[in-house]
Amino acid sequence: MATTAAQHPLYQAAPGWLKAVADALAKAGIQVIAPVQKEEGIVDLAPVASLEAAILGNGKTLVPLKQLFFPETEVLLDYAKRDDGDVALEPEPLPAVETVVFGPRPCDAAALDVLDQVFEWDYDDVRYRARRAHTTVVAFACSEAEPECFCTSVGGNPHSERGSDILVFAAENGGALLRVVTEKGQKLIERLGSIVQPAPEGARPPAPADLAPRFDPDRVKTWLDANFEGPFWTEATLRCLGCGACSYLCPTCHCFDIVDEATWNGGKRRRNWDCCSFALFTLHASGHNPRATQAARYRQRVMHKFKYFPERFGRLACVGCGRCVRTCGVGQSLVSVLTQIEAKQGTGD
Amino acid sequence: MATETATLTASPTLIPMNYVPMKMRIVAITPETSDVKTFRLHFCDEAEGERFTFRAGQFGLYSVFGAGEATFCIASAPTRKGYIECSVKRAGKVTADLHESNEGDIIGFRGPYGNWFPIDAMRGKNLLFIGGGIGLAPLRSLIWNCLDLRDQFANITILYGARSVGDLVYKNELREWRERPDVQTVYTVDPGGEAPGWDGKVGFVPTVLSEMKPAAEGTMVITCGPPIMIKFVLASLTQLGFPMDSVITTLENRMKCGIGKCGRCNVGSKYVCKDGPVFRCSELSQLPQEF
Repeated sequence: MATTAAQHPLYQAAPGWLKAVADALAKAGIQVIAPVQKEEGIVDLAPVASLEAAILGNGKTLVPLKQLFFPETEVLLDYAKRDDGDVALEPEPLPAVETVVFGPRPCDAAALDVLDQVFEWDYDDVRYRARRAHTTVVAFACSEAEPECFCTSVGGNPHSERGSDILVFAAENGGALLRVVTEKGQKLIERLGSIVQPAPEGARPPAPADLAPRFDPDRVKTWLDANFEGPFWTEATLRCLGCGACSYLCPTCHCFDIVDEATWNGGKRRRNWDCCSFALFTLHASGHNPRATQAARYRQRVMHKFKYFPERFGRLACVGCGRCVRTCGVGQSLVSVLTQIEAKQGTGD
Repeated sequence: MATETATLTASPTLIPMNYVPMKMRIVAITPETSDVKTFRLHFCDEAEGERFTFRAGQFGLYSVFGAGEATFCIASAPTRKGYIECSVKRAGKVTADLHESNEGDIIGFRGPYGNWFPIDAMRGKNLLFIGGGIGLAPLRSLIWNCLDLRDQFANITILYGARSVGDLVYKNELREWRERPDVQTVYTVDPGGEAPGWDGKVGFVPTVLSEMKPAAEGTMVITCGPPIMIKFVLASLTQLGFPMDSVITTLENRMKCGIGKCGRCNVGSKYVCKDGPVFRCSELSQLPQEF
């Protein structure tokens, strides 16, 4: 069981601390990643030389934090066919860049706890693990929620420490309180030396963003337990185009494909994000498709997040970031589907 | 639970995985039908080959470099050491490239993955194998496994059918099994699939099964074939009084990782690659019918 928030040491930093932090980390050869304006309307994570241009206020990056640990595409190995008929296999070196990421929201950090369950059970996904081991997550608490946010409906909150190594409460004057959650976070604090000091007795983080829950996941699951079949799935999901945007931008979605990218007599084997909304996802070579309709595929997405994953790994596969709601091109809102489900629960419908 | 199929859980320690396959050399290619070939594979690294063990029912990911990976069961028996075999129907990109491969070519293999047939629970029982088409491949691994340990089992019966005589796989082995005094065999082809000289039955597998009237008492059934065959085989078995926990099958959902990560083979809260591919039919009836 994790220690409670009250037990985690609190530090404070004076205005201007982020500049000093970036300098200190650069000096130590540590890569700094933070949300930056990539193009108009698009804020995303990128390596930065300084944290001055970083966008650390409220709001989420376009692509969630998972991209640092489980990238959209990555090379697993190189293969080369030799003249003597042999094949040379070269595993891609493990990622080993010491990194500190500033600015993910608590929901994105919490999603790492979900991904950890998948990538580190039975078989240890060494590429994911290496990135986790080399990356310190400094999440920033939310003082304001965005319209699509629903973390408080799925067990999170705007001040959640889950998945963070350090949780930062930014102050209006440019200073901050830092709650150190893990040993990795403590090491970073030590590295920062005089930039941060233990917070004085009685120092308190500001109030979290106010966000009323929209649905109860336990009631949703109770309905899901009894309603795999039924017209609801078709009726509620008719708009879904199966484009996969919701999965690609979901901080907990982790399905992937493994493909070869061939050149003349060699090539690379890659791992790419995949999505259960795609018709080809489950298509057998025989032509049989266990999930033949878009409704069945949407149902799988909801069931996996709110029923199957909790049954398997003891937690929801949703952190309430709302990117799927924000991104969906046809307004197929997951929150709306879930509130409809909750409304049905207990009505016999 | 007392069954092996149900008790397979995560390894006590994490197994590191970087998705890099072992290299295997194709040492023999046997054409089985117009679109099925069996490949015999040797490990390029002998030490790797000596360390390698598996149990009947497990599968692997076979790769043709440049085409990608595909999932097939290991069709040879664990009691036959030094090689593995897979039988592959030409269907997609990887299988087409495999069919174009020659003896001596190098392919990749990751595995063995998944659970296995509960052979310990089968000891002392009558075994009834029911296969259809290429679905005989995983059964073949177990059949030879059991025949190599013949005295540990009571009656062994093999019911096998295909669309046509030309679609029967492992023809030499079908003959060998038929000639053994310690195995009962019933071979059948779908109506219209017979050929001159065919001395087996003509009829769909489930129909032939109903005519055979096997006794449910003391018998375990192991079946694999096309979904439509399985559906009607299960109906026949139910009519014959077989409880579904004595009927075992193996699923082949599409997979990419083979180790419970990529999400592709999810059926309910199960991963076919980890909790299967071998399931008791009583377990399958508890799952969403997405296989």
